[in-house]
Amino acid sequence: MRKFVLRYLIPRIIQYLTLIFVGITLTYIIPRLAPTNPVEAQVSMMIARGSSLDPDAIEAMRAALTELYGLSGSPVEQYFAFWSRLFRGDLGPSLGNFPTPVSEMIGQALPYTLRLLIPALIISWIFGNFFGALSSYYPENKALNVVEVLGQVVRSIPYYIVAIVLLVVFSYFIPIFPFSGAYPIGTRPDWSSLDFILTYLEHSVLPAATLILVGFGGWFVGMKSLTSNIISEDYVVYAEIVGLKKRNILVQYIMRTAMLPQLTALAMSLGTVFSGALIMEVVFGYPGVGSLAIRAVYSNDYSMIMGITIYSIIGVATAVFLIDLLYPLFDPRVRYQ
Amino acid sequence: MKNHTLSRRQFLKASAAFTAAAALPEQLAKPAPRVAGRLWQEIAPGVPREECLILENPSGSVLPAGDFNRWRAGYGAFWVCGLQQLALDALWYIDPDAGINGVWDNALAAEPPIYNEDFTQMTVKLREGIYWSDGVEFTADDLYYTVELLKNTPGMGSQGLFESNVDHMEQPDKYTVIFYLKKPNSRFHAVFTVRWGAVYMMPKHIFEKVEDPIAFTFNPPVSLGAYKLRDYDPNGKWVLWERREDWQRTSVARLGEVSVKYVMYIDPGPSDKRVLAQMAHELDVIHDITPEGRITLARQSPSSVGWFPSFPWAHPDPTLPAVIYNNEKPGLDKREVRWALTLAIDIVQVALASYRGAATISAIHVPPTGMYPQYYHEPLEPWLNDFTIKVGGEDYKPYDPTAAQRIADEARKSLGDLVPTDPEILKKYIGAGWWKHDLAAAEQLMLDAGMRKKNGKWVLPDGSDFKVPLLSMSESNPTMNRAAAMVVENWAEFGIDTTLDAQANPWPIMGSGEYTASLAWTIETWGGHPDLFFFLQYWHSRVYRPSGEVSVGSNSMRWKHPELDRIIEEIEKIHFDDPRGIELGLEFCKLAVQEMPITPLMAYNVFTTMDTTYFTGYPSIDDPYTNPVPNWGNTKYMFVKIKPKSS
Repeated sequence: MRKFVLRYLIPRIIQYLTLIFVGITLTYIIPRLAPTNPVEAQVSMMIARGSSLDPDAIEAMRAALTELYGLSGSPVEQYFAFWSRLFRGDLGPSLGNFPTPVSEMIGQALPYTLRLLIPALIISWIFGNFFGALSSYYPENKALNVVEVLGQVVRSIPYYIVAIVLLVVFSYFIPIFPFSGAYPIGTRPDWSSLDFILTYLEHSVLPAATLILVGFGGWFVGMKSLTSNIISEDYVVYAEIVGLKKRNILVQYIMRTAMLPQLTALAMSLGTVFSGALIMEVVFGYPGVGSLAIRAVYSNDYSMIMGITIYSIIGVATAVFLIDLLYPLFDPRVRYQ
Repeated sequence: MKNHTLSRRQFLKASAAFTAAAALPEQLAKPAPRVAGRLWQEIAPGVPREECLILENPSGSVLPAGDFNRWRAGYGAFWVCGLQQLALDALWYIDPDAGINGVWDNALAAEPPIYNEDFTQMTVKLREGIYWSDGVEFTADDLYYTVELLKNTPGMGSQGLFESNVDHMEQPDKYTVIFYLKKPNSRFHAVFTVRWGAVYMMPKHIFEKVEDPIAFTFNPPVSLGAYKLRDYDPNGKWVLWERREDWQRTSVARLGEVSVKYVMYIDPGPSDKRVLAQMAHELDVIHDITPEGRITLARQSPSSVGWFPSFPWAHPDPTLPAVIYNNEKPGLDKREVRWALTLAIDIVQVALASYRGAATISAIHVPPTGMYPQYYHEPLEPWLNDFTIKVGGEDYKPYDPTAAQRIADEARKSLGDLVPTDPEILKKYIGAGWWKHDLAAAEQLMLDAGMRKKNGKWVLPDGSDFKVPLLSMSESNPTMNRAAAMVVENWAEFGIDTTLDAQANPWPIMGSGEYTASLAWTIETWGGHPDLFFFLQYWHSRVYRPSGEVSVGSNSMRWKHPELDRIIEEIEKIHFDDPRGIELGLEFCKLAVQEMPITPLMAYNVFTTMDTTYFTGYPSIDDPYTNPVPNWGNTKYMFVKIKPKSS
């Protein structure tokens, strides 16, 4: 156990924390290298919208917003203040929606993103891997060939195009699904109501279908290429020679072996769901983190961009860290030592 | 000896079972109360669809939902979720079009502002009998308190404005406030006058109990308009307003009956979805869509109407998209070069690329919208026809009076009968002339300025590169981006070393002067009123900021001229309604044409499209009582003219 802690756990924890520190620092620096800043974004938005402000008022507003947004002081001072806040769990106020805290806004949007993206990701992962392995092991099967062609075609289409096609087909020509949102206009979310949950699920079908269709192709191709190498391994050939059932060979010899990199990829993909599916959320009017991120970019909302990115960095880093720790459980060949 | 109490398989099974149990929505495990029975026609509980006007909020989802503090500095989508259109009210309104009873409306004020002779005092007399939605009367206390609070609270939107202008105030009676100004200001009333937005009145009886007015969310908002908040989506997708029972005690009541019972502002998503939603009659007023989307509605949705009954359909906003030059950049600091770049632009191609031809062009530096064609474009037409510039030492007439006609002819090739043929209608809808597309004259102008051509590209007189990347808006404004792409193509053809630099938000870049040219706007006007001080206040050399410093207001092109200063100073000295204002405005237009600091293109056409399935009475070119573009504060006047069909 001591060996495990010293040689495996502690180095990985250090790696994990370093990754988060570097990622967050870069997230702090990059928006500040942009040629614009949130104060100018706000002032210019007001002027561009035709507000009547005299020159003195504009100068005063600039100064007031700089102070309010905590952007006064040198970048280094701001950087330390930022870490100090972060250690207290405070991501600061959203600069595009001042003074609402970033954490409050992300906290409201994140459940929608997670409820949509995680099931969609897991479904596409399961089906993509399953059919990818089948397709590789039964190359002559015509039905699987059709599935492969469809998967490849959909995968090569940008997912916002898939989204719009699904929307036009199933909301307009065959109007069986709603146009937009996570629930109907005029309805308030009520998670204690079965009616609301069913409506919510109905609204999630097209966004989820988009993600599943596009994700399926990627997992399919990945699994097929992994398994095509394994099929020719000695132990698989041996298993066939000794007459084991094909189903057992596929599941226990081929898929299990190929699953490890796919599990890593799944963990990393699960980590990235914190940043949302930007364009999908915009196309479907879905109130998730992706929609927040796009608005933040347009309004140079440093705090929000950093908040979302921090969640994503921590999500990916944690997922990789956990999968590192859990590998031996999935694959007995792997040992901590 | 066993190392583990659980085998690897047992651990995995137990983990899977635990995760599945935890992930199951607990709600599914208990009996769920059903939502109260809703009729399918209801847009919200108790709100029949035919009684609810649904409009697009062009700022999208209102986040954070539930914040209605319109006075805080900065912009939020909640400003235009119905708040400034339905619930707030201001002293005066200037309509961007003709207005219900003329362009000027005394809303909360009983009469126009009364200035003393040297414009150091402004007296406001308020209308009596106006009430907040909670039954408290609106009085001078509210106006006085609004200004006092904003002036003394850094972080409020107009703090600097009041701090720099207002010395003190007096409140001689319940309905009068006198402002004593720190310096003469003949346009001080503009801050209280809605053109899109303004300083709206605060309810003193609410805000005086608030400890931190910056953090205060003003939820639910106490309304001074004809509507009050009924409900909103916590995710900001919709905000529902309900007509006040006592709407007769609001400022619009004297103009007609407020017939629409419910109003909802929604985030309908991207342009294509707005088109689909209106075709399904789920969105009554679209704020804006792509030209292609508008053409689709014109062809497939007979119930959809626009500002113009036919091509170009769109409402021309009193905003002037233009090619903006940084007048400090080498080359662009020469008038001849700016004129050469203007003559290198083919306005027909730009109009077709941007709006599929559905543009309203302007050769002069004010938008061809509202009352401005009468104030400026028509009076200047003879002058423009005779106007000359020096090209190679010879007089050259750059004006092409047939430009709009040529745009219509080209548009007709793809849109056929949708494009009118009557020249008078075309002039009204598409504008008059523009500048010639004359590459020979442009070339001579470049040579006159000392520019030279090297390897097919224009270079500065000293032989160094003359690069003119054109900044534009990307996803945020595809129409402008398409116009910019065509200008780049025109310039490249002329030998300019140029590229398209599309940015999501180019405004701060322009403000800082870190650009060479941009397709955006620096000129916005009242639309209904001819006074040009609205934008010229930023163009005086006393507020000039060189590149590298952030410009004050809209002089991002860094233009200054002694004659311009004289015009602005004269405007400052005269009353807002002085007829001399138009004369000075015409002088400005002539100066701007001669100097061409920016190349005006067209009005900012907004494809606001209204569905007549449930409601009628929308504003149009034939009944231009207000601007239909739904995020404008001025659209409050729509609600006394729009009538439900079911009534």
